[in-house]
Amino acid sequence: MSDFSEDLLRPRTEDDPEEMRVGSGSGMHFPWLQRLVESVATGGRKQKEFAQTTSACLSFIQEALLKHQWQRAAEYMHSYFQILEDSDSNKRQAAPEIIWKLGSEILYYHPKSSVETFSAFADRMKNIGVMNYLKISLQHALYLVHHGLLDDASRNLSQAETWRYGDKSASQEVLINLVQAYKGLLRYYTWSEKKVELSRLDQDDYAYSAASQSMLDHSWKTSTDFHSLIQVPGVWDPFVKSYVEMLEFYGDREGAREVLTNYAYDEKFPSNPNAHVYLYGFLKRGKAPREQLISVLKILYQIVPSHILMLEFHRLLRKSEREEHRKLGLEVLFGVLDFAGCTKNRTAWQYLAKCLRQTLTGNHLAWVLEQWTPRKSWWPGFHFSSFRARGDWTEDRALAHEKAFVAGTLLGRGCRYFRYISKQDHQALRKKMKRIKKLVKKYSIVNSGL
Amino acid sequence: MDFPSSLRPMLFMTGPLGLSDVPDMSFMCSWRDALTLPESLPQTSKNGTPHLAKGLLWEPDTPGPLPLLPPGPDPWDPGLTAQDLLCRGGPKFRRQPKAVLDVTEQFSRFLWDHGDIAFAPLGKLMLENFKLEGARSYSKKKTVVSVQRILQDLGGHQPWGCPWACFSHRQRRFSILGDPILGKSVSNLLGELLHEELVMRWEQLLLDDAFTGGALAWLPGRTPRVRQLVYPAGGALDRLHFQEVRLTPGGDPRILGKPGHIQLRGPVRQVVTCTVQGESLLAVRSDYYCALWKVSKQGQPSPLQVLQVEKGATGVNLSPHLPGELVVCSRSGAVCLWTPQDGLQQIYKDPETLVFRDPSPWRWADFTAHPRVLTVGDRTGVKIIDTQGPPGCGLLLFRAGAEASCQKGERVLLTQYLGECGPDSLQPTLHLICTQFSLYLVDERLPLVPMLKWDHGLPSAPLLAQLLPPPRPGCPRPLLLGGHGGQLQLLHIAGEGASMPRLAGPPQSLPSRSDSLSAFPLLEPKSQQQLQERLQAPTIGLVAALPPSASTPVLSLFQLSAAGDVFHQRLHLREDSQSPGDPRPNFHAPTASWSPRATTCCRRWLKALLEVPPAPPVWAAPTFSHRHLLGLKEQRKVEGKVPEGLRAAMAEGRLLQQRDLGSLPTAEPPPAPEPGPKDELSERLEEAWEGPAAAWWERQQGKGSRPGKQPKRHKRRMQLSSTFSSLSGRLDLSDATSPPHSPDRTSPVSRPQLPETLPSQELTQDLWARGIPSERQQTLRDYMAKLPLQGDTPEGVSIPLSQTSSIQATPSRQQTLQDCTAELPRQRYTLRGATVPPSQTSSIQTTPCRQQAPRDCAAKRSLQRDTLGGAAMLSSQTSSLRTTRSGRQTPVVSGSQPRRKKPRMGF
Repeated sequence: MSDFSEDLLRPRTEDDPEEMRVGSGSGMHFPWLQRLVESVATGGRKQKEFAQTTSACLSFIQEALLKHQWQRAAEYMHSYFQILEDSDSNKRQAAPEIIWKLGSEILYYHPKSSVETFSAFADRMKNIGVMNYLKISLQHALYLVHHGLLDDASRNLSQAETWRYGDKSASQEVLINLVQAYKGLLRYYTWSEKKVELSRLDQDDYAYSAASQSMLDHSWKTSTDFHSLIQVPGVWDPFVKSYVEMLEFYGDREGAREVLTNYAYDEKFPSNPNAHVYLYGFLKRGKAPREQLISVLKILYQIVPSHILMLEFHRLLRKSEREEHRKLGLEVLFGVLDFAGCTKNRTAWQYLAKCLRQTLTGNHLAWVLEQWTPRKSWWPGFHFSSFRARGDWTEDRALAHEKAFVAGTLLGRGCRYFRYISKQDHQALRKKMKRIKKLVKKYSIVNSGL
Repeated sequence: MDFPSSLRPMLFMTGPLGLSDVPDMSFMCSWRDALTLPESLPQTSKNGTPHLAKGLLWEPDTPGPLPLLPPGPDPWDPGLTAQDLLCRGGPKFRRQPKAVLDVTEQFSRFLWDHGDIAFAPLGKLMLENFKLEGARSYSKKKTVVSVQRILQDLGGHQPWGCPWACFSHRQRRFSILGDPILGKSVSNLLGELLHEELVMRWEQLLLDDAFTGGALAWLPGRTPRVRQLVYPAGGALDRLHFQEVRLTPGGDPRILGKPGHIQLRGPVRQVVTCTVQGESLLAVRSDYYCALWKVSKQGQPSPLQVLQVEKGATGVNLSPHLPGELVVCSRSGAVCLWTPQDGLQQIYKDPETLVFRDPSPWRWADFTAHPRVLTVGDRTGVKIIDTQGPPGCGLLLFRAGAEASCQKGERVLLTQYLGECGPDSLQPTLHLICTQFSLYLVDERLPLVPMLKWDHGLPSAPLLAQLLPPPRPGCPRPLLLGGHGGQLQLLHIAGEGASMPRLAGPPQSLPSRSDSLSAFPLLEPKSQQQLQERLQAPTIGLVAALPPSASTPVLSLFQLSAAGDVFHQRLHLREDSQSPGDPRPNFHAPTASWSPRATTCCRRWLKALLEVPPAPPVWAAPTFSHRHLLGLKEQRKVEGKVPEGLRAAMAEGRLLQQRDLGSLPTAEPPPAPEPGPKDELSERLEEAWEGPAAAWWERQQGKGSRPGKQPKRHKRRMQLSSTFSSLSGRLDLSDATSPPHSPDRTSPVSRPQLPETLPSQELTQDLWARGIPSERQQTLRDYMAKLPLQGDTPEGVSIPLSQTSSIQATPSRQQTLQDCTAELPRQRYTLRGATVPPSQTSSIQTTPCRQQAPRDCAAKRSLQRDTLGGAAMLSSQTSSLRTTRSGRQTPVVSGSQPRRKKPRMGF
C-alpha cells in the first residue's frame, strides 16, 4: 500500500509532461480542468490578488461581448489595461494581443465608435510590445479598406512594410509578405480603376498617355508586391487573380502562366480548386488547344467532381474525337449527378440523357454499365423514387422528362419514376412523353424492359 | 454546385499542432469575417457601407429557460464530482493545473467499507493456516494459528483511524507476520483495479462523450403544426418519450397530452431523426445497442431493427440523402453503413487514430454531399471515406495540426455535416468540427483548410450543435452550439451561393438553465442545493425551432438535461442594421425579467420536484453487528452501569442520544489538549442554530461569574505534571476564556478569590496576581481578605466541564458532573468507558467544527483500555469523519448523514 500511494503522491515538477495526461495517456487539454481542480483544492499557494482581479475582469469583458453589451465591455476594458503592468512576464507579453482582440472587437461594434477612435487605438496598440506590430497594422488596414479609406489603408501598409524588429524570423517574413501583398492588392484596385477610366478615354486624347503611364507604373510596383507571397504555400486567390490580370494586360502571358501553374500544381499548396479554375480560365482566354483545357479540367474533376465547370468539361469531352474522352464525358456526368446539391440540375440531366443516347447508339453499352453498376444500388432510391417523381413533376417538368428518360433507360420502363411521369397526363406534353417512351424502348439497357 | 470564386487569403502550414512559429493570422475576432475584400472593383467598397447586419441579436424573453414538462418521478443524483476524486488541499494555483487522484483515500475507504470483498478471498486462501475454534492450538503444525486469542484481543473492534490505538503482542505479531500478505497483495491487486476505475471516472468527469450529438430531437406529428419531441426520460434515461408539442406562431410551446413512451433496455445516449423523401426515421443509440424506428405520417413509431454493438457504440447518424441508411461507429474503431434491408457494411476499421497516436476509442461518422461518401472522425482528425472505393483510403478533411492552426492538446469533439440543399442555404458541402477550443467550418471540396474558425471559449465540451434555417429570407443562418455544462452560444453564418461562409455579426451567448435559479423562490439550504444541482445538470440534448409564421422571427429553444428535464426558452430577433457611424440612442440590450407567469411555472415545477423522494443512498454506512457485544456485556454482568436506554439504543442500532444516557455519572475525560482561545463566536452560532441561544448567554454570564473555574482546570493539569517551579508567565487563559464584555466582570462577584480548600492555592494566587509587582501583592491580598467572599459557591469551585458537554449541559446536569468530578480519582478506573463515548458521539454530531474530531480522538485514546463499547464509539467516529467531509461540501450543518453519495467503486 505504501509504495503504491507514494507513487501517486510523488511530487512532480510543473513541466512534467506526464502531468498533463489524464490516465490513459491521451494528450488532450481541458480548458475546464483548472476550474475542477480549483473547486477541490483548499490550501496552498493562491493566485495573487492582481491576477485574480485581472482574470475576473477578463471574464466580465468576454461575458459582456457575448451579450453584445458593448458599453459595459468598454467600461471593463478600461480597467483591464492594468494587466500591462503584471509582474508575471508571460502574462505581460500575452496581454497586448488579448487587449487588441477584445478592444478592436468592442470598437468595431460599439455604436459610438468611429474610424478615428479605432485608428487611434490601433496606432497605440501597435507600439505596445513589438510582436504585434505587423498583425495589427494589417488588421487596421483591412478595417480601413472595409470603411472605404483605401488611401489611408495603403499608407498604413507602406509603413508596416518597412518595419523590422531584430532578426527576421520566418513568421515575420510571412507577415511582411502578406502586408506587401495587401498593399499590392490596393494598388491593383487603383490600377483597375484607371483601366476603366482609360477604356472610356479616346486613344488620341492627351490624357490617355498620362493615364496609361501611371497604370504602367502601378503594375510594375505591384508585381513585386505579389511575387514573394505567392511563393509561400497558402490560399492566395485574390492576389493571384489580380496579379495574373495585370500580367495579362501587359502581355506577359508566360509570366502569368508560370504563376498559375505554380499555384495549381505545387504540391506544397493545398489542393485549391480555384487554382485550377484560374488556370483553366487563363488558358481558355488564350484560346489554348482543347487537349490542354481537358487536362486541366481533368485534375479539377478529380478534386471536385461536383464543380460547376464539369458541365463545360463534359462539352469539351463530347466534342473530342478520342473514345476515351467520350467515355470520360459520361463518367463526368454521372459524377456530377452523384451529389446531393446537383440533383435538380436540369442541364446535367439533359446532357446525361443525350450522352446515354449517343453512347448506346455507338454501341458502348459496357461504358454505361461500368458507370451504372456501382450506382444501381442507390440511384433508384436517391434519384428515381416516387417521392422525387412527384416533386420533380410539380417543380420542373422539363427536368422530370429528362430524368424519366434516364430512369427508363437505366432501370427499365417498370421503374417508379418512369411510371409516375408517364402516367401524368398533360395535353401539351403528351407528344413529348410519347417520344420519350419510344426512346426508352429503343435504348433501355434492361433486358426485361425490351 | 458553386465553389466560392475567391477564397480568403490564408497561410497553409503542415505540421503537428501547437506550432508556435505559425503567424496566427486568423486573429480570432468575430469582425474579421466582416472584412471581406471588395471583390473586383473598388467602387463596391467605396460606396458600400458594411452590408452586414451588425447587431443581429436574439433577445431572450425571460432571463433563463423555463421548465417545459414536470419533473420525472425518479430521483436524480448528480453523481461524482471532482471533490470525490481529487486530492484535497493541493496547491491551489499553478499555471498548468494538475489533478491528482486521491487513490489512497478511496482505497482506504474501500477497504473499510468493503473489507469482506477485499480480504475474504485471502482469508479463504489462508484458511488452513488458521484455527478458528478451540482455546488453544494443540496442532502440531507450526503453521496453524489459533484465532481465538487474537479475536479476543481485538475485542470486536478495530482501532480504525486512531493512531494511538494499542495492540496486544499477539496482534502485533500477527500484523507483522500477516502484513506482507494482507497488506501488499490486497493493495497490489485491488489498488490497480481501483486506480483504473478512478482514472476512468475522472476522465468521464472531464469529458463525458456518451451524449455527443444530443438526445433530444424533433419528429413530425399528426399535423404540420404539431410536432413531437423525442427524448429519454426516467431515472436511468431508458424510456424514450414522444411528447406532442404544438408551437404557436409566437413560439410558445403547448404540451398536448401525455407523452407516449417506449421502454428500452439501456440508457439512451443519442437520438437522431431525419426526414428523407417524406419518410421519417428515428435512430437511437444506447451504450451497446442502436435501434431504428420508422415514424408514420401520424407520428407513430414502428420498430425496424436493433443492432448490437459489442464493443460499445459511440455514434450513429442518419443519411440525409437515402431513407433508411445509417452509419454506426463502434469503440473498436469500426465504422459501418447500416441499412435495415441489407444489414451492415463495414466501410472503415482502424483501431488506431487517424492523424497521430492518441489512444481514444471515440469514433464518429457522418454523411457528406455525396451519398456514398462518409466522414469518419476521431479525436485527431476527420477523414473522407468513399464507401465504394478500396477500404481504408480516403482524404483527410480535417487534421488536428498546423493546417487549421490548432493549439497544443486540441482534439475533435464533434463533427457534423451541415449540408442541406435549398435555394437560400449555405453550401451543401460544409462540415462543422468542434474542438474544446474552437469551431471550424470545413468545405469537403477544399480539405484541410478551414473556411471559418472561431474560438468559442465555452467552459465545457461542445457536444451539441444545430444549424437552423434562416429566420427570414436573406438572413444569415443561426448555428447553435451547446456545451455539456449547459452553456449555449449562437453564431450567425452567412455565405450563400458562391461566397465563403463567414460569421455575420458577433456571436452571442444564450442563457443557460442555471440562470433560471432566480425565478425560483428561495428555499431552505438543502432543497436549494437540490434545485441548484438539478439546474446545473449537464445538458444532453438541444433542439430549436423557428415557427415560420411569426411576424418578428422567434427562436424556440428546447434543452434536455441529464436529470431528464426539458427546458424551453423563447428568443426574439432584434436587428439593427445601422451603419457604424450612426449612434444608437439605446445601445444597452434591455434585460429581460421574469414574468409572473414564468415564476408561477417555476414554482409549480419546483413543487413537483420537491415531492420527488431523494435518491436512496447507494451506499450506507456499514452496520456492525453489535449483537454479540450485547451478549458479551451480559456475560460480563456490567453491574448496572450501562443503563437500559443505552442498551436499547444499541440493540436497535440507532444513534445514541442524550436521553438514552439518562443522568449518567460521567467520568471526566483525562486532560485533553486545550484548544487555543475558545472560539466564542462559533460556539454561539452553534447555539443559535440549535435554538437555545438565551441559554448560552446565561451560561456565559455564569461563566463570567465563576472566574475560578478555568484556572482550576489548569491547576489540575499542573498537578499532574507536578511542575510548580515553572509557573511564572505560563498561563494567560483566564483572560482569554472569559468574555471580555461580560458586565459581571467588574462586579464584586467575579472578583478573584482564594479558595483555601483547594490544594493549589499558590497557583491560583499566582494566576491572578500575575503582572502585579510582588511588593504590592501582599497588600492586595490583605485588602481582598477583607472583602465579603460571595463568590465562594460550590458551583464556582470546580466545574471542569469538558468542552463538549459544556455546550449541551443543563444546570441539573452540571450538578451531576460536579459530583462526578469530586470522586474522579476513584472512578477513573472503575468506570466503564463505554459510558463516555456516547456523550462524545453526540457532541461530534452537533458540532460542525472540524477541529473537534482530533480532539475527541485524543480523548478516546486514553480511554480505550477501559472501553468496552468500542464498537459503538468506532462507528460514531467514522460517521463523524464522514460528516465533516460532506459538511464541507454543503453548508448544511445539521445532518450527520452524508448528503452526497459516496463514491463507490464497483468491480
